[in-house]
Amino acid sequence: MNTSVVVEPPRPDVDPPEPYTFPEARRRTLPNGLDVVVYDVPGQYVHSVRVSIPLPLSREPRDTEGVATIMARTLDEGTANHSSSEFALLLERKGVALGAGASEAGISVDVDVAKRHLEYAMDLLRQALTEPSFPDAEVTRHVKQRLAEIEQERSVAAQRGAIELIATFFDASERSSRPTAGSRETVAAITRDDVVAFHSREVSPVGATVVLAGDLDGVDAFAVVEAALGGWTAPEGWEAPPQPVAARTAANRGRVVVVDRPGSVQTELVVAANGPDRRVEGGWSPYPVLGFVLGGSPNARVDAVLREEKGYTYGIRSIFRPRRRGGLFLTSGSVRGDVTVESLDILLTILDGARQGFTDVETKQGVDYIAMTAASRYATADAIADEAATLAFEGLTTEFTTETLRDLADLDAERLGDAYGRFADGEWTVVVVGDAGAHVDGIRALPHAAARDVTVVSG
Amino acid sequence: MADIAYPIAERTLANGLRVVVSEDHTVPTVTVNLWVGVGSRHEPAGRTGFAHLFEHLMFQGSRNVKSGEHFSALMAEGGRLNATTWFDRTNYFETIPKGALELALWLEADRHGHLLDAVNQENLDNQRDVVKEEKRQRYDNVPYGNALVDVYATVFPEGHPYHHPTIGSMEDLDAASVEDVHAFFRHYYGPNNTVLTIVGDVEPDDAFAKVEKYFGALPASAQPPAHDVHHLDPLTEPVRLERVEEVPNDRLHLAWRLPVDSDEDYLACSLAFDVLGGLSTSRLVQRLVRDEQVATAVHAHTMGFVDGVSLGLLIIDVAAGTDAGAIEDAVVEELDRLIAEGPTAIEMESSLAETERAWLSSLASQEERADLICHYTLLADDSHFVNTLLDRIGAIGRDQVKAAAATYLQPRSRAVVSYLVEEQEAAA
Repeated sequence: MNTSVVVEPPRPDVDPPEPYTFPEARRRTLPNGLDVVVYDVPGQYVHSVRVSIPLPLSREPRDTEGVATIMARTLDEGTANHSSSEFALLLERKGVALGAGASEAGISVDVDVAKRHLEYAMDLLRQALTEPSFPDAEVTRHVKQRLAEIEQERSVAAQRGAIELIATFFDASERSSRPTAGSRETVAAITRDDVVAFHSREVSPVGATVVLAGDLDGVDAFAVVEAALGGWTAPEGWEAPPQPVAARTAANRGRVVVVDRPGSVQTELVVAANGPDRRVEGGWSPYPVLGFVLGGSPNARVDAVLREEKGYTYGIRSIFRPRRRGGLFLTSGSVRGDVTVESLDILLTILDGARQGFTDVETKQGVDYIAMTAASRYATADAIADEAATLAFEGLTTEFTTETLRDLADLDAERLGDAYGRFADGEWTVVVVGDAGAHVDGIRALPHAAARDVTVVSG
Repeated sequence: MADIAYPIAERTLANGLRVVVSEDHTVPTVTVNLWVGVGSRHEPAGRTGFAHLFEHLMFQGSRNVKSGEHFSALMAEGGRLNATTWFDRTNYFETIPKGALELALWLEADRHGHLLDAVNQENLDNQRDVVKEEKRQRYDNVPYGNALVDVYATVFPEGHPYHHPTIGSMEDLDAASVEDVHAFFRHYYGPNNTVLTIVGDVEPDDAFAKVEKYFGALPASAQPPAHDVHHLDPLTEPVRLERVEEVPNDRLHLAWRLPVDSDEDYLACSLAFDVLGGLSTSRLVQRLVRDEQVATAVHAHTMGFVDGVSLGLLIIDVAAGTDAGAIEDAVVEELDRLIAEGPTAIEMESSLAETERAWLSSLASQEERADLICHYTLLADDSHFVNTLLDRIGAIGRDQVKAAAATYLQPRSRAVVSYLVEEQEAAA
């Protein structure tokens, strides 16, 4: 037999990367009050345009909640000069992807387009934003589609859990306690008049931001944006929306709600507490690290046990989700049905146990991951534009991103633990989507504060 | 049409490893992407889901790497990584700061060369449980979650490589043994059944040298068993499967057998699917969603495969109060019309424009660019495919689309999988 000794090369060392800086923006405010932010990203031949219009959803009338979403979704369904079908054709003939939606922070309109069609796309964006006609038939169609979507959301365990979570976590008087895109009754009540009124009352360039990112070699970016959107004017009588305030949480949020799904082979677990917004005292930088250390990889605290040791789950994720004011700390995922109670016990024990602090090793791993993945996370035009547009809703620029990443260098285990303790106060809101009959007695017997108050609702 | 010209350098090592390097100095990062020529189509009866379970074991340690260390070592250096399994292949990939390129190559070479040193019953049992939860989460506990599984089983005959899904069955996952892992590795894993692509801030010669350093010593160990091509002609009469389940609305899945991936006729069929339902101006969207409002959504796409056949799919969400049968009749009418008249020039223009933007968006990230280069190098033997696809699609004429529709998209050649709402008993 022919044998040869092969010397395997030793494990190589790593040269750490240079500190990361977010791509530099150029900014200008147009005379109509629109902030324009431009990123030249060489080699990015699809341009990403993002419009952020800050607007608290509490501006929606209570009985037509979801109108902001329907308004956003029908912006491109007919304009002063084009029918819905004509406008769709204008978009697709040049491969312009235009999407719009509403969130807790406001209205977003996104455009992605090949570089050479940028000006063409910007003119379509202008028409959608400033002269939508909201044809009755199109509004009706989108209302029906949203109603179908509501049924689909209720049928998916993770989405059903999310709906129950906000209803349990936030005070019932808060808009945040109800679905962003509206509920059955409120959506069904939305008419064309509601949509027209909402648009003409709320959609304004003042305080809004448009971001353009892409390869701008040979493109006069400000001129292109101004030519399209410089003539956009605030609606008559428009007033700036009030400063956002944090939504009040429910007085009895520290409890368990079981959404009953008899026979479910898996159980969706959602655990929530208050979280920070990006302006939190002590800085935002610890929170992405905490999300990673607790529930951001197979070796994170939660999955090290529930996935890699026990094999109970495909994966559980923890995330700090900032809102314009205040925020949520969410941990969620699915576990095998017959280990629901044990899994919830383990999960709450890990989340509570983390209040004892974090090791230097896991702090360093989390810091290094967040800091050193930045260059690849923000490598494309769409990722850069998304980050800038998200921050614009909060009146922040991507200087914030650079500063947050820089601040990671000063993050040690003690500061990480302090940041966690600021929000993880042991008062957990727990939603369990699964077979109530099989699990509810076991949940009631758990030695966690939330388990003292267990409610079952129908799926 | 956009002029796409990503640089491509290619070399094959003595052990058969095909290496493709595409330098891109815009960001100081590097993507390493490996495609192994094994997927669920290679699984024998009784071992469905095995290729995917095996992929999980690739993260549980190898000769010099502890269980879980592949993830933790790369993440600690700023790596983002994962792996996926599909019908025709398994891929492994990471994007790292350029200073960690050699670490990534060392880790990959260790598991692609020496996995079996670390495989044991405990690892296998644990990852089998994880995969079963993945199956429950993505298939069994989701409305319509098994619809595509039903589509594959309906449109491809029993015993065909694409008849069963990548996730496999619970019974077959239960049956997998450590011996199976050893045999599978010996058959399919090795440099001679793998393509490795590096995209990012590297010089090609330096990248080739580094790959040689870590992979050069691995033997050409893969010995794939002989595998005949499983050519399938279009169905000659409709096949259907109906399920009545707890779903929010009726949903129709209509499927056709298409020619193999990246074949010119396959590209023509993908244009036909755009014309039918893939765009917001598509015929079925215009008719069913906008005009008649009998459907709330229409989706159309094609899945390119290499083993004798591909798949074309229309998915239609039926509006409340509408009969699914009437929707199917409308689809048949639109198929007949497309076959008789072909697409219009404007439809061709729209499909091409949308394809161009989507393709450029995919290529915009190093991660996806590396994955696409590996894809077409492994499965179509064409490392330059990323630069030429749009020209190839642009050269397809209306007559070719019409002819491809006539050959492959006949109404009689459809398979129909219906998920229908379980009627609730009327309240007393």
